[in-house]
Amino acid sequence: MIVRTGLTGAFPRSEALVSATRDLDRGRTTVDAVEELYVRTETEVLGLEHRLGFDEGTAGYLRWPDLFRPFAETWEGFTVGPLTRWLETNTFYRQPILLAPPGRTPGAIAARLPAPLRAAPEASRVLLPGPYSFAVMLENRSGETEPALIHRLGRLLGDEVRELRGLGFSTFLFSEPQLVVRPPEGPRAEAVVAGYRAVQSALNGGTSIVWTYGADARPGFPLLDRLPVSVVGVDLAETEVDQLPVGPSRIGLGLGVVDSRTTLEEDPAEVARVVREAQSRRHANTVWLGPGGPLDLLPWEPATRKLHVLPAVRQALTERSP
Amino acid sequence: MTRSLFPTQEIGSLAKPRWQIQGQRSEPLDEPAREELRSWDARVGFATELPALRDALLDGRPRDASPDAVRDLGALFGLRFLETTGLDRVYDGEARRIEMYEYPIRQMHGFRFGGHVRSFDSKYYLKAAVTSEVRLDHPYHVEEFDYVKRHAHAEPKLPITGPYTLADWSYNEHYLALQPGWKGRSARRAAQHEFVVDLARRAVRPTLSALIDAGCRVIQIDEPSAGTHPDEAAIVVDGFNAATEGLDAEFTMHICYSNYADLLPTLLEAKRCRQWAWEFANRDSAGHDGYAVLKALVEYGDTRDVGLGVADVHRDTVESPEVVAERVRRAAKYLGDPSRIWVNPDCGLRTRSLSVARAKLESVVQGAALARADFENPRR
Repeated sequence: MIVRTGLTGAFPRSEALVSATRDLDRGRTTVDAVEELYVRTETEVLGLEHRLGFDEGTAGYLRWPDLFRPFAETWEGFTVGPLTRWLETNTFYRQPILLAPPGRTPGAIAARLPAPLRAAPEASRVLLPGPYSFAVMLENRSGETEPALIHRLGRLLGDEVRELRGLGFSTFLFSEPQLVVRPPEGPRAEAVVAGYRAVQSALNGGTSIVWTYGADARPGFPLLDRLPVSVVGVDLAETEVDQLPVGPSRIGLGLGVVDSRTTLEEDPAEVARVVREAQSRRHANTVWLGPGGPLDLLPWEPATRKLHVLPAVRQALTERSP
Repeated sequence: MTRSLFPTQEIGSLAKPRWQIQGQRSEPLDEPAREELRSWDARVGFATELPALRDALLDGRPRDASPDAVRDLGALFGLRFLETTGLDRVYDGEARRIEMYEYPIRQMHGFRFGGHVRSFDSKYYLKAAVTSEVRLDHPYHVEEFDYVKRHAHAEPKLPITGPYTLADWSYNEHYLALQPGWKGRSARRAAQHEFVVDLARRAVRPTLSALIDAGCRVIQIDEPSAGTHPDEAAIVVDGFNAATEGLDAEFTMHICYSNYADLLPTLLEAKRCRQWAWEFANRDSAGHDGYAVLKALVEYGDTRDVGLGVADVHRDTVESPEVVAERVRRAAKYLGDPSRIWVNPDCGLRTRSLSVARAKLESVVQGAALARADFENPRR
């Protein structure tokens, strides 16, 4: 079995960064001092990812206030809306409000990627919102129907991927909680497939990962198995492994095995057992392991501690493999 | 006790006055804080009850105004602020509390704070993990209630964070570790149930018992998290029932910003809850009837009182008494029994300025009076 590991969402800010950003809000420090700390902490996260043997680095996406903000602030047609609950958690995002059909601003997202990634794009994993979750988590006042919007966002994200491929990035993870929280049907489901087809056509040999979390993935599987992507990830804290569909899939198997809702550390042997069971159900040669969802639901220290389970599981799995 | 129709009540916290914040830090008051103290004293008459302390604050003598004394004065201010609007049930605006999670958790054993979690942007909160069995160090809020009881002219009602919310805002390590095998969805649910019931039995119930022994008769159990995971309504209920088991007081349950229909009918199994105090006004706008969900209570045959949120705490626009009265009449029509309605703001008013909070509360009281007059002297 080939095992690949990496982060699947934003990493928490360090306690030093928490203090610094609070101080900045209160006028007790300078933008330059906070910027210096951001760079230092991004480098620290990237170093951690390397030490843990992750296949790509993310540097944590520490500056992004939420998954959608860089888009809501830079793309055409958007404004930043009210605080809105993020799934079933006690964290919030500012809901993008779409006032007109959206348009991307070339270069804007690339400029907001963590600086250490821009220096080594080939070893990086780009985290982006998936077109479906983006479409259903914004407030749509554009007059465009939801299926049309999903498809359009897929095309725009495809353009984004094309631009980033030109800069050397090759691995793209699309955050898609809503594919399992509110699985689309009918024209919306077809729009999701079409949206990812647009992404796929821009990949040019790169890797696309759709990562789901926030609910049991079972109702979403018929669609997930149709997506034209390289890997689909499922959060095993929400989906019982014995409920995964049986049978080979042409799509790579992603498994969320680190739970960001508890500080309790996972037992590597237990995780390895569950991964083997999942792999045997889906007949996958390669499994992509990571946190079930963004780890920024945890403080820095427990998040860091919990990540160490991934290399331990990889070792357990590869040692046992024939 | 016989009450007139549509009695009024407060729900939660008020913004801390500037003079209280500076005074508690033993800082000399700046001019805006002094002016705030003077003007509110003139309006609601609280500092005149403690003239030496008032003068120490106004004269810039922090050494003669200990933080504890300033805190007491803050509680007295909250109490008089609420009473003088004409509310029937009051508290102290939670003047001694900073927030509703960390303080109760710090009165217990079995928790460890492990760092900050981002709420949004650059706002964070401390979140604890339960790492061993919950144990109460000592009942909390009792001294706070005692002060209110000794000084209140209106009927006091104490708000306290419920066990489900305390658990939902914590990481569950201990109870999850006790679950055998993979810590998936079903294991997590079972662990959360154990955690909530343990918190209720070992920490919240002894606290409620101590409060009742101290003379507290009306207790509002705050469960703002109740709607976060709609499929856990049964855990909310089991926590409420365990926390109140065998206790004799008038218990109410406050929930806000949730889809109440998702929690019904399970929530109705909360046996000793006498009143549902819910937010409604926030969702009553732009052609959407925020009170229609009350029909579901009738459909399920629930006959308990309803604490009716009639003032939105997230907007500065003050609802007129006429708007409040219309909301009360509409709710009475849906419930089919006006005697079940208490009138209140949606939630605590701490995010509004004191002036806006005051105006909203006055409107709540005046609107309830308008609706009352309508029912007592119906127009033919």
